[in-house]
Amino acid sequence: MADTSWTSSAKSLKGVILDLCGVLYDSGEDGGTPIPGSVEAVKRLKASDLKLRFCTNETQASREKFVAKLQRMGFDISVCEVFSPAPAALAVLRDRGLRPHLLVYDGLLAEFESVDKSNPNCVVIGDAAENFSYQNLNDAFRVLIGLEKPVLFSLGKGRYYKETDGLKLDVGAYMKALEYACDVEAEVIGKPSPAFFNSVLRDMGLEPHQVLMMGDDLVNDVGGAQHCGMKGLQVRTGKYRPSDQEHPTVTADGTVDDLAQAVDLLLGERGGVSP
Amino acid sequence: MSGRRVLKAVLVDLSGTLHIEDTAVAGAQEALCRLRRAAVAVRFVTNTTKECKRNLLERLQRLNFDLQEEEIFTSLSAARRLLEQNQQRPLLLVEESALEDFTGLDTSNPNAVVVGLAPEHFNYQTLNTAFRLVLEGAPLVAVHKARYYQRGDGLALGPGPFVAALEFATGCSATVVGKPQKTFFTQVLSELGCSPGEAVMIGDDARDDVGGAQEAGMMGILVRTGKYRAGDESKIAPPPYLTCDSFPDAVDHLLKNLL
Repeated sequence: MADTSWTSSAKSLKGVILDLCGVLYDSGEDGGTPIPGSVEAVKRLKASDLKLRFCTNETQASREKFVAKLQRMGFDISVCEVFSPAPAALAVLRDRGLRPHLLVYDGLLAEFESVDKSNPNCVVIGDAAENFSYQNLNDAFRVLIGLEKPVLFSLGKGRYYKETDGLKLDVGAYMKALEYACDVEAEVIGKPSPAFFNSVLRDMGLEPHQVLMMGDDLVNDVGGAQHCGMKGLQVRTGKYRPSDQEHPTVTADGTVDDLAQAVDLLLGERGGVSP
Repeated sequence: MSGRRVLKAVLVDLSGTLHIEDTAVAGAQEALCRLRRAAVAVRFVTNTTKECKRNLLERLQRLNFDLQEEEIFTSLSAARRLLEQNQQRPLLLVEESALEDFTGLDTSNPNAVVVGLAPEHFNYQTLNTAFRLVLEGAPLVAVHKARYYQRGDGLALGPGPFVAALEFATGCSATVVGKPQKTFFTQVLSELGCSPGEAVMIGDDARDDVGGAQEAGMMGILVRTGKYRAGDESKIAPPPYLTCDSFPDAVDHLLKNLL
């Protein structure tokens, strides 16, 4: 049963931000599979008068690579519409003159090619998946504990996500491990950091209250967006779990079965396109 | 000689306090002998989860320390006790060498997760398996939550960070059975029939040895060997009862002032 109370604000919306993994597709070792109806749903959003951006904590591949993957799945999406943590991290490193030790997925290394990584004075951790070995975590730990004031950047802080073969620990869990080991607090780059959401809003030229964020992660997508003043909608795909509905601190503005249903309801309410 | 006989028991940490891997702390064997000649009970409490009790004992005896297996209390035996009490089948993230302490427990179709110090299990696949079990409701038992430990080649991550990772991902809290848990210390003391106020703990870990013991009402002595790093004594409040260079100095202090 769809909760439709959130659609009352549909008419005043000027933009939509979509999470990628778990909303558009389910990731997996085969590269991933589109969630039924989502290719069409993105098309319809693009054809509407709403501004559309994509906001992901995807850090297993460079932005170019995973956008190309989505295009192969049939999605109408381009690199300049996608906001991901690595390019944002790069800007922060440059800004503060930091030299990173990287604990990231091999596919992400290209994003950091231009940065001086000698004699590191901070650690950047992303969703490194199989690269989260004891040895690699220990190497990152030793860099941090050897610094007078450890600086740890985490590309997102998700707890887990769903792949086709089951739930997997996300970068947030490993961020916690290093935080705990070194008694530091990581600086999160990506969702749910307000700086990250605000950079997307700036690019859209919209105010937070004019924008709806849709994601499968209650805390990082929905809660993060709400914290910035946006509306947050949760989809029952991807990592969604029924227990999200009783979360102690975050309540979504609405919950829908999937992106296709959300777009039906949203565009239907705006009266533009019939489902 | 103050003559104040306030002390009935001395609890001593092993790794980092009496020895570092296969090397004894200088003068530690002789200091232990001196302590044993005093009218005080000595017990060894350790979060060294890589090894079963028998291995620990053999290593210490090789290094010429005078001690018996029944004087050693480990977080592994505390974990086993908890699993038996709750009749649970554990997924054991402990090193091969520690499995002996869990002999006889049913580990098929696990409904509990035990995390010890197991570098070869702290990988993406195994942690995902543990994570899914805990998310489905299996209790998470931490043999201890030490942040890191001293290895021959430098500092290395302890079980604590991996427990923290699973706790964060699942939203569950682990039951910690080793140091610095109050129950761990009090269980050892109750077997000696002595109260925390009559006991002292000597160790190289400010939080887990000294902080934990003091939290339980004991005195805590921090030694500057093993994982000790400058400034560790200021990381806990109240500060250690005493900070000294090594185990022999700690024994000197006890013999001179408290026994």
